[in-house]
Amino acid sequence: MMRRLIWPALLLAILLAYPFVFATPFQQRLGALVLLYAIAASSWNIVGGYAGQVSVGHVVFFGCGAYAAMGAYAHFGLSPLIGLPAGIVAAVAIAAIVGVPTLRLSGHYFSMATIAVAELIRLVVTNTDYLGAAVGLSGPTVPRNVFDLSFISALPYYYLFLIVLAITLLMTWWMTHSRMGFYLRAIKDSERAARSLGAPAARIKLYAFMLSAALTSVAGALYAMMFGFVDPDSGLGLLISVKILIMAALGGAGLLFGPLVGAAILVPLEEISNSLLGGKGAGLTFVVYGAIIVLIARFQPGGILTLIKRLLERRAKPRAKEEQRLATGATHAP
Amino acid sequence: MSFILVQVIVGGLLLGAVYALFSSGLTLVWGMMNIVNFAHGDFVMLGMYAAFVVFTLFGVGPLAGVPFATLLLAALGVVVYFALIRGIMKGPMLAQILGTFGLALLLRYSVFWWFGADFLSLPQNIVGGTLVFWGLRIEAARLLAGIVALVVTLGLHLLLTRTALGSKMLAVAEDATAAQLMGIRPDTMQAIAWAIAAGATGLAGALIATFFYIVPTVGETLGIVAFVTVSLGGFGSVPGALVAGLLIGVIESLSGYLIGAVYKDIVVYALFLSFLWFRPQGLMGKT
Amino acid sequence: MKFGPLLKLACAAAATVALAGAAHAEDKVVKIGAVFPMTGNAASAGIHAKYAIEVALDIINNAHPELAALPLAKNAGLAGLGGAKVEVVFADNQGSPATGQNQALRLITEEKVVALTGAYQSGITLTTSAIAERYGIPYVNGESVASNLTERGFKWFFRTTPIATDFVRVYYDFLTDMKAQGAKIDNVALVHDNTEYGTSVANTIAAGFKDKGLNINDISYVSNATDVQSQVLQLKEKKPDVVLMISYTSDAILFAKTMQAQDYKPPLLLADDAGYSDPAFLKAVGKSSQGVFNRSAWSVGPPGSPSAIIADMYKKKSGDEMDDTAGREMEGFFVLVDAIDRAGSTEPAKIQAALKATDLKPEQLMMGYRGVKFDDKGQNILASAVIIQLQDDGETYLTVWPKPNAVKAPVLPYKGWQ
Repeated sequence: MMRRLIWPALLLAILLAYPFVFATPFQQRLGALVLLYAIAASSWNIVGGYAGQVSVGHVVFFGCGAYAAMGAYAHFGLSPLIGLPAGIVAAVAIAAIVGVPTLRLSGHYFSMATIAVAELIRLVVTNTDYLGAAVGLSGPTVPRNVFDLSFISALPYYYLFLIVLAITLLMTWWMTHSRMGFYLRAIKDSERAARSLGAPAARIKLYAFMLSAALTSVAGALYAMMFGFVDPDSGLGLLISVKILIMAALGGAGLLFGPLVGAAILVPLEEISNSLLGGKGAGLTFVVYGAIIVLIARFQPGGILTLIKRLLERRAKPRAKEEQRLATGATHAP
Repeated sequence: MSFILVQVIVGGLLLGAVYALFSSGLTLVWGMMNIVNFAHGDFVMLGMYAAFVVFTLFGVGPLAGVPFATLLLAALGVVVYFALIRGIMKGPMLAQILGTFGLALLLRYSVFWWFGADFLSLPQNIVGGTLVFWGLRIEAARLLAGIVALVVTLGLHLLLTRTALGSKMLAVAEDATAAQLMGIRPDTMQAIAWAIAAGATGLAGALIATFFYIVPTVGETLGIVAFVTVSLGGFGSVPGALVAGLLIGVIESLSGYLIGAVYKDIVVYALFLSFLWFRPQGLMGKT
Repeated sequence: MKFGPLLKLACAAAATVALAGAAHAEDKVVKIGAVFPMTGNAASAGIHAKYAIEVALDIINNAHPELAALPLAKNAGLAGLGGAKVEVVFADNQGSPATGQNQALRLITEEKVVALTGAYQSGITLTTSAIAERYGIPYVNGESVASNLTERGFKWFFRTTPIATDFVRVYYDFLTDMKAQGAKIDNVALVHDNTEYGTSVANTIAAGFKDKGLNINDISYVSNATDVQSQVLQLKEKKPDVVLMISYTSDAILFAKTMQAQDYKPPLLLADDAGYSDPAFLKAVGKSSQGVFNRSAWSVGPPGSPSAIIADMYKKKSGDEMDDTAGREMEGFFVLVDAIDRAGSTEPAKIQAALKATDLKPEQLMMGYRGVKFDDKGQNILASAVIIQLQDDGETYLTVWPKPNAVKAPVLPYKGWQ
């Protein structure tokens, strides 16, 4: 049991120490971004990885949080933090309304439905003046107090996101070890079989969807507070869902730390390749980025974390064999 | 019915035929191989650029541009199949999304790197002019694309249902192991299917280039349209893609005229969602 | 006599001079950051902005006596900083406000730029300038038109380009003059996309025109349209006197083609820059859009004039004709560097002060503004534009209004295609 906690503890130590080892403002911001996307990707993981329902329109929940946060400031002069619970409520409501008719659709149809919902809402927001239409909503440009969560340094964001990520992962962990997690695994394996054994499949999937929506909206709210601005493209654009999905898939969907690994690879990759190549205007950033994603998809579709796990297991195997031999008292050389 | 309304509907049908044209390739691979191809829009884009290159080098229009684009894209389809698709086909949908999205970026920005970001277009008179039938004004380029869409749809449908090759492809799609036992090589069939689909998409791109703008990022918008068309029509149904495309085109055109263009996509998505909820297999898909 | 304090003073003075000299010696390169869309849908604009700034760098860093009217052109480098050269670090905002802000942060904290320019899309200019404001780095924007950019109470943000409220004035005055020449202008159709550019400009113009008693018909469409037949048919039905197009390049081209297909020629077609100024538009549909009016602050003067020389340099570098947006970006950059030159230092506060004190005359500019002078919100109150028109089957616009700037008289009605 203690052995199993070594890796998470080590990870936590690394994450806590990161902003002090990589201490320039840009590096700290990069770290904060990795954590932010890890929150979003881990939230997606609940329904996309564990429940096996690939939602490509998850950005709609992200947008709920972002718009609620900015709306609280833009329309009521309140701290964006007050908008956060409103965003959660909106996200969960949408998940419930959309989830009931949509979750019973199989694989590809479900994904298409989520795309349609996300695009529909994005278009509605683009044409709604109250929500900023195409211009978007801005947050406080000069923070009035600490609750405006508008900091110059990335350090407070980093630790705030770390706490939220820890909560997200803890909730995911708790869920997978609960009855709900048990049902989800059964449903993911074979929904029909699970149903015939009495699993309330529709309800379970809906709960997973709603939980995922709530957490994703938190990520959206945090994003809006850090950047101080949201518009239909940056808050409800399909590209955001695809990015989150890819991070989870690249790191390892259905694994607790998969999305974090994916975010830790893709976010710096994108920002650093942009910093090195972006200014030239030849689009090379995305050629590199695309090529790397293709290679990983082709050769490691289970995700990087699966690869790491396999490597670790392989190293552990000879040791296990050695211990076995010693235990049985064998005398010949290994 | 007011005359302008007729013009709107006709315009919608032509637009829809174009949608059907570049979606037929997607429904083929989606239905046959269960592949979600996020790079589909970028295949259309490549077809457009192929037509542009032919025009720039030889000064010829779609007569040469279309066959060239079709063959080029078919070849690319085979390459992509063996290099990437075969590996991710059997994998989870996530791996397919991951892989094809990466491919989309790779294709899009390789074209961007080579051709630059500027908007290109073929000269207006390449398939020139506007034809007037009983007062209805129809752009010749769009009419050509519309007619070709019908021909391609018919051709693909006949290929799948009436030819030996087609039944082999369908057999592999239905049950690859059983097909193998009957002496059909699944790999070859799937590569052929992919080549045909890519070729059809390249053809579509080359035709669209005669009246639409050419830019590396055009694949983003067109990709989503293709996805909606294919889901509405039913994954794997080529006639379904045609009907769905026409329907979407007309709805877009009508709502654009009656309600306002900014709402047309909302109407389409709302209708699409209702359809998904009441008839998920689409207009003509299998249950 | 107390030598102690006197000695201390002398030492301090000597040290200061030595330090100043040392600082002077180190100021050989002035680094400026430029954030633009180099990928994504607006990449064409961003890449042209890069060309424009590179031409400006050539003018600033090398001696160009033929452009003596422009500040900074005569000498090589910045005279106010001992001949220091200017270097620009370009960054790609990828069309995302978040990426723009991240890159701006990198430019400020890692590349240690002394000032920023950019970022084309108003939403991205919003976030990038926000971080510059927090770090106290001067930011000069030459091309974003959203009005909220100068309504944030920022102290480090300056904008040289005219904005929508300026255009209302220009368009109304122009249309009134055309009315005096016999055109009808009472019914105006505003055709715009639903991006932040399209909606904000359309709303401002609609409000401004309605105030003056004109009838407004609002026809909006979705940007990057696949088909605009419905919109053109609506125009055909409503028969407005003036059609004002607020569109990006791809839609501008599509509208031109569709109007020809549907045989629709508005009596007066006026465009709000953007897509209609893009060389790609002229190449694709210029010949069938004869007589379209456009607003611009850029026009090419007679050979030997600064604008002609710059147009030439730009064409050599980019292969394209200079357009209004690239010109506005270049002008913004010139204004920024001129302020650094006048400040004689790379200290942010000094540059800020120099920017506030900017007072450039029209002869010192390459764009057709009435000058550059910033109000306390950071907006250039002398920004303006002229009206240009596509005439005589040519593929370049000619200035036709106001009279003092006009090269040719405006031609009505709209000719379109032959």
